Amino acid sequence: MLELKSVSKSFGSKAAVKDVSLAIPVGSMVGIIGRSGAGKSTLLRLINRLCDPTEGKILWRGQPISELKGAKLNQWRARCGMVFQQFNLSPRLDVLTNVLIGSLARQRGLGPLFKVFPIEERARAILELHSIDMEEVALQRCSTLSGGQQQRVAIARTLMQSPEIILADEPIASLDPANSQNVMETLAGINRDRGITVLVNLHALDIARRFCARIIGMNDGQIVFDGPPDALNAAVIDRIYGRQFVENITENPSQMEVKDTLEAVA
Amino acid sequence: MTTINPYLNLSRQDLIAKAIAIAPKLVSIPISRRLLNYGVWVLAALAFALLCKNVDMTPAVFAKGFKNLLRFFGGMFPPEAAGQEIRILSALAATFAMAVSGTFLAIFGAIPLGLLGAKTLVKQPLAHFLIRRFYDVFRAIPALVWALILIVAYGLGPFAGVVALAFADIPRLAKLYAEAIENCDPKPQDGILAAGGERVAILRFGLVPEVLPVMASQSLYVLESNFRHAAILGIVGAGGIGFELEERIRIFAFDQVAWIVIAYVICVMLLDTISEKIRSHLIHG
Amino acid sequence: MLQNMIKTDENKAKFVAEFEARRKIVVMKHRAAQISIVLILGLILGVSFYTSGFFITNYGTDPMSRIGDLLNKMIPDLEPQNLLKGRSQSGSIASWFYDMPTWLSLLSQTVQIALVATIFGSVLGFFASLLASKNLSPLPWLHWSSRRVLEIIRTLPDLIVALILVAAFGVGPLPGVIAIALGTTASLGKLFSEANETIDWRPVEAVKAVGGGWWTQIRFGVIPQVLPNYASYALMRLEINVGAAAALGVVGAGGIGIELSRAITYTEFDTYLALLILIVGLIFIIDIASEAVRHHLIGLKLAR
Repeated sequence: MLELKSVSKSFGSKAAVKDVSLAIPVGSMVGIIGRSGAGKSTLLRLINRLCDPTEGKILWRGQPISELKGAKLNQWRARCGMVFQQFNLSPRLDVLTNVLIGSLARQRGLGPLFKVFPIEERARAILELHSIDMEEVALQRCSTLSGGQQQRVAIARTLMQSPEIILADEPIASLDPANSQNVMETLAGINRDRGITVLVNLHALDIARRFCARIIGMNDGQIVFDGPPDALNAAVIDRIYGRQFVENITENPSQMEVKDTLEAVA
Repeated sequence: MTTINPYLNLSRQDLIAKAIAIAPKLVSIPISRRLLNYGVWVLAALAFALLCKNVDMTPAVFAKGFKNLLRFFGGMFPPEAAGQEIRILSALAATFAMAVSGTFLAIFGAIPLGLLGAKTLVKQPLAHFLIRRFYDVFRAIPALVWALILIVAYGLGPFAGVVALAFADIPRLAKLYAEAIENCDPKPQDGILAAGGERVAILRFGLVPEVLPVMASQSLYVLESNFRHAAILGIVGAGGIGFELEERIRIFAFDQVAWIVIAYVICVMLLDTISEKIRSHLIHG
Repeated sequence: MLQNMIKTDENKAKFVAEFEARRKIVVMKHRAAQISIVLILGLILGVSFYTSGFFITNYGTDPMSRIGDLLNKMIPDLEPQNLLKGRSQSGSIASWFYDMPTWLSLLSQTVQIALVATIFGSVLGFFASLLASKNLSPLPWLHWSSRRVLEIIRTLPDLIVALILVAAFGVGPLPGVIAIALGTTASLGKLFSEANETIDWRPVEAVKAVGGGWWTQIRFGVIPQVLPNYASYALMRLEINVGAAAALGVVGAGGIGIELSRAITYTEFDTYLALLILIVGLIFIIDIASEAVRHHLIGLKLAR
């Protein structure tokens, strides 16, 4: 169980996350939706501890992780995989090395600093690449891959960590529809086959409805909805995205999908 | 539900065997390539060791030198001018004055040469190439080398130092000026041409306002480096702070050396800061 | 109607007069600024030339003829018919470059001094740059203080440092290596840290999110991005260092410089010219080689 207890985070005077409390059972796939700037990203970064909460507690399987420091913090980050919107790969390193980066927290000694990894880690990296059909490009530089391929490499890197939970921060926001579909299916497959808890930030409502059994809606740093996709009605969507947004949809073709969903709901 | 990793429960052998079945070449790097990799590193390390040995970088020489160096450092505290503050400070002033004078002479010499070296003014490619290579040849000669020979011509004293700095900087500045002129935005010049301007007018109103700040900033940059070069020239007899330093190092008066070095560093950092301020003002307006 | 026209004409005249008055003030302010800049510059120059003793140095009669004389002495007495004969034959090129084996070995020592110093300087500069770059430095005060230390080292001329080191280590190439390595560390430390500060932070964040420590973040997040820049800066520094190493011998710190000062002491001016040609040739070759490699590196960077 991942538990957040009245977690708040502010940058200077601006509050990004306000008094969020959550309980997410192990093995679930949860979609977090909301407008950009609603605090979704900050929420995931708080869980991975890329930033520290101003107030509140975060627990994983009963163990408090919001106070970890130093080596303990690195161990937690290793158990908690992170997938980024911009993939965050090292463009000049080859695919295999980028995947091996996922095993860094396990490595001891100076070997990794010279890009020398144990043979079983190499073997695992290749198996992970194989599971996403990418072993053929293993020795190519990451910068030569397409966006969708890069995001799958980033997922393979996360899997190398043997994570217990994966946090995906807008994983498909920079991808075309076909690749988005592919990446989301990969994430769902990981959740289904390996039982890894997945938290995924999305701004496209229909994708969230399709892949996630539970949806959390955020607006202005607060949780305004938490429930199954079926419970998303017009009033709820209005609360998440704001009246302004819903009215603007008709003028903005990129947000048509939300409108379609709205109509379907209505 | 518990977390399952399909590869975690596999034994090491199974893991490797499975991966080899998929991509044999990726898992274990062939011995030949590994040897080549290590071989390159070993060769590089050997070459480096040989280089170190050739330049006397051996533990024995190091140990001896460091013992002396520590003794010198011990002697540096407390820094002490031994009543020669005036003399040292005026030598410092003379050094900086040498740098300013030398740079000024160099600017004068470099302006026509810079124009001559710019592709926009001398369009013939071969001539341009030869002129720039000519500057490169003279750029390779350090000020100290000029000073050695100029002191023979003009005797001990700052005159030779000033001329040496100027000689060393003329080709450097000429190259920088030529590049500034080449990189200058041609649009204002086109504008004047379109308005029916003469060649002189194009230079005066199109080129000069564009390149003058850049050239001034590069001259200041050369001035900054000359604060350092001027200090060196004293060692070969051009007077100034270098001479004072050398004299005191020779008699192991390290408390005075420390005093001079501290005074010098403070002055240079101050002058650098001023010059940097002016430079950024020139470039960003 | 007419009344109105006169009125507007009056207005126009008034407007023009006002404009002219304001323009005059602006122009005068501009002039005043220009004149004061010229005055200040003139003052600085006057004081500088006076203080440096430029005018009072006693260099005999005519500076131009003196340098002419010297140039004359520097040109060797080559005889066309003996040009390609052996070393013992005066007037041959071989007799002009009479000590070629020694000079070549000193030139090679010069290059070796520069190489070793550049390698050590680059490695130390890399570590210094990690402390000195704002985004990587583990502690804020460390970033500030390491920057100041690098600045202070940069103000010290390498020959002055070499002079002190020669006193400690004795005559030989090692003091030269240390002196140049120190200067290289300081200048590359600054350049590297500037490169570090322009990196894309995302790959670093990814390594952090994976649970990698500080060193692994540097190794897999930072270094792949900055390595081409580092290499090109280090090569540029190598070019500078060959020149510096050529001069070092003057204070006894190894390299070809020792022959330069010997030639001057024994008034062998034609030898001085021969050495100069060798040094310039060496620096030229190094420059061209390093430039070729640097262009290749830039190509690599653009290709990614």
